[in-house]
Amino acid sequence: MSVRHSLLALLAEQPAHGYGLKSEFEANTGGTWPLNVGQVYTTLRRLERDGLVEPVGAEAHDGRQTWRITRAGRQELTSWFATPIASEPPSRDELAIKVLLAVSTDQKDVSGLLQAQRVATMERLQSYTRHKRHADPTRELPWLLLLDALIVQAEAEIKWLDLCEARLRQREERA
Amino acid sequence: MTAAVLELIGANRVHGTGRTAVEALKPTNLRIERGELVAIMGPSGSGKSTLLSLAGALDRPTTGRVLLGDRDLATLSPRDVAIMRRRLVGYVFQELNLLPGLTARENVALPLELDGVKLAAARAQAEAALGEVGLARLADRFPDDLSSGEQQRVAVARAFVGSREIVLADEPTGALDSVTGEVVMRLLRAHCDGGATAVVVTHDASHAGWADRVVFLRDGCIVESVGEEAPAAPGAAEPALRIQGRES
Repeated sequence: MSVRHSLLALLAEQPAHGYGLKSEFEANTGGTWPLNVGQVYTTLRRLERDGLVEPVGAEAHDGRQTWRITRAGRQELTSWFATPIASEPPSRDELAIKVLLAVSTDQKDVSGLLQAQRVATMERLQSYTRHKRHADPTRELPWLLLLDALIVQAEAEIKWLDLCEARLRQREERA
Repeated sequence: MTAAVLELIGANRVHGTGRTAVEALKPTNLRIERGELVAIMGPSGSGKSTLLSLAGALDRPTTGRVLLGDRDLATLSPRDVAIMRRRLVGYVFQELNLLPGLTARENVALPLELDGVKLAAARAQAEAALGEVGLARLADRFPDDLSSGEQQRVAVARAFVGSREIVLADEPTGALDSVTGEVVMRLLRAHCDGGATAVVVTHDASHAGWADRVVFLRDGCIVESVGEEAPAAPGAAEPALRIQGRES
């Protein structure tokens, strides 16, 4: 996840201070990826070093510093939005690694592992769907899109678990 | 404890006899409470449709019992089973079976008319059901003049019409795109939140996610049941989403 570009996107809307950016980011993503405020300050300082953001005026008496995006920052942001996400090499997937190792090291109850995971994933999918019921498709469109993404990922995981089970079964039948 | 609308008690179904006999559904216990939306998932040949046929009294178990409301279907005559089926059970299939020569309103009113409900009353109830699926203004259209999503909603309205106890749906979103399919699931969800009961067979986990309970079948057996607890109270708060491993 690019904290750097997320902050630039929020600052392109309007100048803000670090804590405001943290809250805004979390509101936009439904609290799904909490940001550490220290991480926000560090990122802002790096963005300043690279000339992509700049401070507005002096620090307020409560220590808060307002930041705005620079022209170079806007260019960087435009190019981020325009560039597809690179998915090679695939990001590490703990579930895939677990199942692969369970199969290659001949763990006893691989199908039990698959079943337990399917239950857990289905429960997660149900929870996302309950959130979706209450999401306003106009006012809360980003939130709804995030839920769609999480649901589609969970659905893909369930399909993959089904596929694993079917292939293990084929192997047993051949044996 | 709430009342069971539908209950399978050790119900199984064997097709054929002797050496060629196939047990499509092994002895199964399943209790479905009023207001529940239950999804059934499983690979081809796992017994999903057999289970749905037994639940809807379209077929009889080889052994075991099926209770619809408080009636044991085995104790009823075929004629009484047919009446029960018509009055208490609404069906939605992937093939819509809408009659092309009838308007949406007439299609939805048809099961009531067949059951002897007076024409005006049947049409009024049909309009209410079409309103429930958001199609009141298209009541005079013929199926050919509706999109596939709208046709499926007419089929859903036909399953809702009157005072049905339970709706059984076999892949009701099968031929629809994701957004249109979701509309159908939202309708079933809202219908159950209003006190009705529904069982949906689906191969689509994202649609099963709308159910209170998801039952997984393998080789004619229920292997997993997810979301066993009673449906959450309306408006109950959901905990904030957290993605594993991403907590700060």
